[in-house]
Amino acid sequence: MMQKKVCMLGGFAVGKTSLVRRFVSNVFSDHYHTTIGVTVEKKNVTVGPQDVMLVLWDLYGEDEFQRVRESYLRGSSGYILVMDGTRKATLDTAISLQETAVRTIGAVPFVSIINKADVRPEWEIDEPAIERLRERGWPVLFGSAKLGQGVEELFALLATQMISAPVLPRD
Amino acid sequence: MSSDPLRLRSDSASSEGRTSVEEDWTQLRTLLLAPEQTQLDELRDRLDNREIQPRDVSRVLPEAFAILGEHDQQMSSVLAPYVENGFVASVRKSPRAIVDAIAPIMGPAIRQAIARALQSMMQSFNQSLDESLSIRGLRWRVEAWRTGRPFAEVVLLHTLRYRVEQVFLIHLETGLLLHHVATDATVVQDQHVLSGMLTAIQQYVRDSFGVSQDQTLDQFHVGDWTVWIEQGSHAYLAAVIRGTPPASLREDFRAALDDIHAQQADALTTFAGDAAPFKTTQTHLENCLQAHYEAPPRPSALKLWILGGAVLLPLSWWGLTVYHTHARWSDLLAELRAEPGILVTAAKSTWGAHHLEGLRDPLAKDPSVLMSEAGFDSSTVKATWSSYYALDPQLVATRARSMLQPPSTVKLTLEGDTLVATGSAPIEWARETKRLATFIPGVSRYRDEGLVTTSIPDLLTHINQTVVHFSPGSSTVEQGELAALSSIAAVVRQLDQAAFQSGQGVALEIHGSADETGPESINMQLSKARADAVRTVLGGERLGEATTITTDIVSAAKRRAHKGDSADRRIASLHARLVQAGQEISRS
Repeated sequence: MMQKKVCMLGGFAVGKTSLVRRFVSNVFSDHYHTTIGVTVEKKNVTVGPQDVMLVLWDLYGEDEFQRVRESYLRGSSGYILVMDGTRKATLDTAISLQETAVRTIGAVPFVSIINKADVRPEWEIDEPAIERLRERGWPVLFGSAKLGQGVEELFALLATQMISAPVLPRD
Repeated sequence: MSSDPLRLRSDSASSEGRTSVEEDWTQLRTLLLAPEQTQLDELRDRLDNREIQPRDVSRVLPEAFAILGEHDQQMSSVLAPYVENGFVASVRKSPRAIVDAIAPIMGPAIRQAIARALQSMMQSFNQSLDESLSIRGLRWRVEAWRTGRPFAEVVLLHTLRYRVEQVFLIHLETGLLLHHVATDATVVQDQHVLSGMLTAIQQYVRDSFGVSQDQTLDQFHVGDWTVWIEQGSHAYLAAVIRGTPPASLREDFRAALDDIHAQQADALTTFAGDAAPFKTTQTHLENCLQAHYEAPPRPSALKLWILGGAVLLPLSWWGLTVYHTHARWSDLLAELRAEPGILVTAAKSTWGAHHLEGLRDPLAKDPSVLMSEAGFDSSTVKATWSSYYALDPQLVATRARSMLQPPSTVKLTLEGDTLVATGSAPIEWARETKRLATFIPGVSRYRDEGLVTTSIPDLLTHINQTVVHFSPGSSTVEQGELAALSSIAAVVRQLDQAAFQSGQGVALEIHGSADETGPESINMQLSKARADAVRTVLGGERLGEATTITTDIVSAAKRRAHKGDSADRRIASLHARLVQAGQEISRS
């Protein structure tokens, strides 16, 4: 079975872990988040005729106290950028993280998701901002970890992109 | 184009001047451009015939595959179903060929797997056997019982020096699992997630201490486990080890990792998530699953003998005692059952305590005597006997004698249920016996036709007529006189018993006498000696229950007054009379 390393990236408390929990049953405690800054979990998905095992590295949310460890990004075949619709600052963090990712691992497939679609009226991230992201070439999805909306689609879309992406020659 | 020179030659007949020029031109052109013309003709043929020739494809196909495979996995995906179908068809069509092809690979792999399983089983079995009888083994058995784990597992854990329980081959950059092996007994968490976490931990440590990429986390300890990490250029080995491994084990890991890097160089370099090619590393990783157990010290043969003796001797002694006691008890029961007048109705023997119940004739042998003869203490045997009259002939005869108290001159015998009395007896006893005999349990009839009855006066008369003769000067009872004396003795006994039964006593005096020859003093002594000699023959001073025998001498005056010849004076005479019982016997 094909395996792919996928990183979950996003600002502090945007709901990365909640999205992962919607997707997999956990083996390791969340305690690792605050100790070594990552929890690894896995999920099998099917892309066309091919089974793919996504090994998810759920990275601790970046904030003013803790930066994402770039070493954790290495070897990723794709990543997911998570934003919180009710906090505009998380969009800026996502943009910054995407730049970090590109710098570290290159142009690998990624998908962004704006979480908390269940409280859409409270959103600070407005349509023009979303449009600007799309103009940057970001695939933008909306989801709710609370209701489980958009989660399966998120991982399925990324898996599809990773499988169809050409394998880049390594250094 | 090749037809042109011919056409030129036919035209020459009509216009010769022009023809010769054209011919020259043609010849020149043929001379100059013939090779190129041929190639042009061939190219035209290939352009006209656009179908690809297999020969042409065969020339470029291998190279085309190589170029395609370098940059795209699509070819593999496209070909996979055809290759699979082809393989299935081939197996169906000619399985033998496939078997022959894979036998060299599968044979050793299967043999190795079986050998490893057998080795593991034998090791577990041997350890369990070694420890099953020791004190330490007993302690572990308690632990196994307490924790609910198999005894063999507890033994292995305690005697374990180290055991490599899991080996991970992990891609260095992605942290993705390439291959994983584990011992049978190991509970494996999700190895893919574990690979990721192991990689993350290493990167965390490296980042935290700010060390360079080539400086790595080599090992860490968790409880009973040690995790050893051996780094390679594209992949690393992580071995989960229980116990304390020797440093030499790391060399084995290093060698395995080097071999894997050498054999899987391409697969490692181009790894993009497909771990299938790394299944071939199974043997390398399995060779890393090593274990070493502490060999328990062998107990010496002497210790074993002593231990065996200490267990077997008391057991043997106990077994022998039980057997012996059982045998004695059986013998005792047989003896009791054979004993007349004893009837055993219940016998029970449990753990050293014995119980007996039965019936016993009062005249039968005492059972406690039989028990003590058989070696049973009265404290260990509880016996309850109820009395009864047994009808055994032996006991009936004893009972008859006990109840009838016959004189010694009477012989009582039992013939069936008839009591028969023979001999001689006082008439009073004979009368009383006839009345009582049939009341004796076991006696239905009584017969006494062989019994001679006598009365006390007759007996007195018979005795008092008795005279014993002596030779001159002798006080020895002669042979002929002895026979007469013994019959008289029987009569004396009859008299004694008759007198006893009637509550009287008998005083028997023996008077010794001598003739006139010789001095008087000698004769006095001789007389005394003759009386004593007769008394001695009769049995001494007392006879039977009620008879006292005394001696006396006949005075000289009386002897002289005797009218008979001198032979009649060399005698001892008997004089019996009845006296009151206990009365002092007066000398006459």
